[in-house]
Amino acid sequence: MVSSPPGQGTVRTDLEQVFRTAYPRVVAVAARVLGARDEAEDVAQEVFLTFGRSKVPAGEAQAWLSVAAAHTALNHLRSGRRRASREEAADDGQAVSPDIADAVVTRDERRRVRVALARLPRRQAVALVLRHSGLSYAEVAAALDLSPGSVGTIVRRAESALRKELNDHASSD
Amino acid sequence: MRHPTDGTLRRLVDEPAGVADADREHVAGCPVCLAGLASAQEDAAAVGAALSFDSTVDVDAGWRRLAGAAEGRPGTVVPRRRRLALLRSPLVAAVSVVALLIGGSAAAAADWLQIFRTEQIAPVVAPESELVKLPELDAFGQVQVTEEVDIRQVADAGAAAKATGLSVPRVSRLPKGVTGDPTYHVLGRVSGVFTFSAAKAAQTTKAAGQTPVPPPPGLDGSQFQLSAGPGLAAAWTAGRPVPALVVARAVAPTAASSGVPFETARDYLLSLRILPENVASQLRAFSSDGMTLPLFTSVEQLASTAADVGGVPATVLTSRDGAMAAVVWVIDGNITVVAGSLDADEVLSVARELRWDR
Repeated sequence: MVSSPPGQGTVRTDLEQVFRTAYPRVVAVAARVLGARDEAEDVAQEVFLTFGRSKVPAGEAQAWLSVAAAHTALNHLRSGRRRASREEAADDGQAVSPDIADAVVTRDERRRVRVALARLPRRQAVALVLRHSGLSYAEVAAALDLSPGSVGTIVRRAESALRKELNDHASSD
Repeated sequence: MRHPTDGTLRRLVDEPAGVADADREHVAGCPVCLAGLASAQEDAAAVGAALSFDSTVDVDAGWRRLAGAAEGRPGTVVPRRRRLALLRSPLVAAVSVVALLIGGSAAAAADWLQIFRTEQIAPVVAPESELVKLPELDAFGQVQVTEEVDIRQVADAGAAAKATGLSVPRVSRLPKGVTGDPTYHVLGRVSGVFTFSAAKAAQTTKAAGQTPVPPPPGLDGSQFQLSAGPGLAAAWTAGRPVPALVVARAVAPTAASSGVPFETARDYLLSLRILPENVASQLRAFSSDGMTLPLFTSVEQLASTAADVGGVPATVLTSRDGAMAAVVWVIDGNITVVAGSLDADEVLSVARELRWDR
C-alpha cells in the first residue's frame, strides 16, 4: 500500500494527534484479519504513513484508517506475504497460559479463520472485521458507503459463510 | 407483516436499539424469526470468538517508529514489544491502571508501600468495544519491565514445583473425554516499575476528548512496582491443538507505591473521566478494598456467574458458544484457574476435587 519512500512529501500536521487516538483501533482491525500482533502493527504503520501524506479530512480519519487497515491486512493475507513463523511465535506459550481468551482460539483454528476470511468477498470481509472491531452499524455503513440496513445483511452473510468454512474444515479433519 | 430481513435479525443480536419497534415486536412473537435470530446469534458468537485477538498496543513505541519513518530516518526500528505485550496479558494487566484505582493501604515493605494485593477476583463485564477503549498503563507514564515473561515446559510435576515453589495440582477424577497425562509448564515471576507522568496523563486525557486536570502535588514522577507470578500449569492436550483441560496456579498480582498515598492516585485517575462509564462504575463498586482483582470480561464472548470452590468465592466463565468454561478463584494470595473445552459443571467438579502436592 505504501510505495513511495517515507519522508517525501508533506506530512500532515495532525498526524500525531490522529495516531494517538486511532492507533489501537487500527492495530485491532488488522490483528483480527491477520491473527498476529506484530504483523498488525506493521500494517498500521503502512496505513498511517499513507494517511500522513493524504488530505483525508480529519473528521473522516477514523473511518478511513479502519477501512484502510482492513484492506491492507486482507491484501497481506491474499498476497501470501505472511510469515507463518510470526504467527507461531505469537502463539508461543499462550496455549498453556491461564489466559482464558487466548485459549479459545488455537493456532490451527486461527489459520483456518485466516484462510476463510481470505475467501470471502472483499466487502463482506471488511464489513465483518469492522463490526467485530467495535464499529457501530452506522460507522461501518459510513465507512463503506452502505445503508445501515444493509450492513446487517452483509455481516450476516459473512458470518454464515465463515462459519460454514470453519465447520467444513473441522468436519473434514 | 412480512418477516424482517436476515440483516435486521443480525442487528438485533448486537445493536437492537437500531431495529424498528415493529420489527422487534414481530420477532418476539414469531417462531420463524426467533429461530433465525438464534442462528444469527450462534454464528456471530462463533465468528466473534474466532476473530478475537488481544491486540493491546504500545502507542508511544508505535508513534516513535512512525515519526522516524516519516522523517526518513533510515533503519528506524522500534523493537517489537511482544514480551511487554505479554506482560499486559489479562492476568497481569489487570493490576496496572486498575491497581491504582482500587488499591488500599497494607503492610509497608522497605521503601515501598503495598497498595494492592489480590485476595479475590470479580468480573467487570462490558462490551468488547468498551474494553478496547481501556487505557494502557503507559498512557499515564513509563513502564519498565524488570522481570520479563518467561513461560517454558518442564519435565514433570516435581520440576514445576521446584521452579516455582508452588504446590502442583492433582486432579482426582478427569472429566469424560479428557485422557492421558498432563504436560507441565512454568511461568517465571513478572514484574515492572511504572513511573507516573503528568504530561502523558494530560496527553491521554486530551486524546480521549476530556479536559486535562493538573495532578495533585507529588504524583508526577512517583513510582509503582507491579508484580505477578511465578506460576505453573498442568495441561491435558491428548494430541489436540486445544488443551481439553488446564489447571493453573500463579502468585496473584500485587502493587506497591513509592510513597504517594493511594487515594491521591485513585481520585486523580477517576477525575480524568476517561474510562468508559460502565467500566468505571463497576470498578467504583469495589474500589475501596485494595484486594479485588478485576477480571475484564467481554459481554459478547463470555458469561460469568458466581460459585464457590471449597468455601472460597469463585467466578465461573463460560463462552457464549458453549465451547469452553473456566473457573477462577484466589486463596492465600494465589490465583487458581481450571479451564477447558468443558462445561461449567465439569470445570467446577474438577476444581472442587483438586488435591495439591506439596
